[in-house]
Amino acid sequence: MGVTQHRWNDDQHILDDLSDALREAALADTIAEYGQGAYAWRTVDQDLLLASLSFDSSLEPVQARRSDPDDARVLVFTASPLSLELEVMPGRVVGQIVPPGPGEIRVETADGVTFHVEADDVGFFDLPGIPRGPVRLRCDTPTGRLVTDWVRL
Amino acid sequence: MDDGDYPITSLVDAAAAGDEEAWHEIVDRYTPLLGSVIRRFRLATAETQDVAQTVWLRLLEHLASLREPRALPMWIMTTGKRESLRYLSARRRTVPYDLLDPLWLGSSAEDAEPVAERPRAERHEALLAGLAELPARQRELLLLLVEDPPLSYAQIALRTAIPTGSIGLARGRALERLRQTFAVRDHLAGPARVPVVSDGASPSLDRTAARDLDRPRER
Repeated sequence: MGVTQHRWNDDQHILDDLSDALREAALADTIAEYGQGAYAWRTVDQDLLLASLSFDSSLEPVQARRSDPDDARVLVFTASPLSLELEVMPGRVVGQIVPPGPGEIRVETADGVTFHVEADDVGFFDLPGIPRGPVRLRCDTPTGRLVTDWVRL
Repeated sequence: MDDGDYPITSLVDAAAAGDEEAWHEIVDRYTPLLGSVIRRFRLATAETQDVAQTVWLRLLEHLASLREPRALPMWIMTTGKRESLRYLSARRRTVPYDLLDPLWLGSSAEDAEPVAERPRAERHEALLAGLAELPARQRELLLLLVEDPPLSYAQIALRTAIPTGSIGLARGRALERLRQTFAVRDHLAGPARVPVVSDGASPSLDRTAARDLDRPRER
């Protein structure tokens, strides 16, 4: 393997590096706490489609965004046969069910706060503000039901 | 390389099937790795908490799609980086002149953290992912051995029920096991060697594979 000369072959070196790695890792106790707490949010509904975050304009390379720094952030959550698109603007979030059609949207936050909005006949909806921290959207339509990945808006 | 006894497989399967204890163990094992990834981006405490919470919440829903359990650390690293980058990108939007800073110019999801620190960060992540693979007793021993301030062998003996005279030997064995973990071996083999998976049925573990994990699926 050609690794015989690596510094990790020395017990003290590998232990020292492990020690540095552990000491520098951020906020271990807090991170573990959030991890344990996450379990309460496990989805057990087998009929629910998981719509994964498949596009996020905020992660596009800088050059691509430079021309319009004030553009809304666009998020696309994809499942089959139903998807959800969000546009996040200052103080406001609008969304679109794809394919267009009526539905009910439930916004869940990790704090346990939830609220509902109705999508109109062509699948458009409007959230009354931007929730803080991780959120996910549940969407109930005649075609099917989905839940998005957790994201921060 | 024998993938048959990768120790995380049964944990991921059990957690995906609703075993809460298995989930807690995954969190315990991978917390240092996630903390190390987030730290690379120098986020504030509240931001770090938000990123960690988002990653765990999302992982919980994606467990069932981790068909190749060796992809778990890669999934955690990729998602942790992306979520951290969102904060950086939000800052860039609010301070447009920073876009001219060569550090940000041309940066993307793959390389926005300080470049000079990357090799060190990757070494750390390999060790922490390796640590996550170790049996509980060996993990516990190594954690005790790196406590700061240091513990004496007598104190470690008390906590581990390993006789004082055997701790040196146990230390050597645990470190050898750490060297043999998939994470450490993959790291030492170098990026070109990582995607090689013997049976052809398993996905490779490069970035493309990690991205594939985010593809839509039905459940």
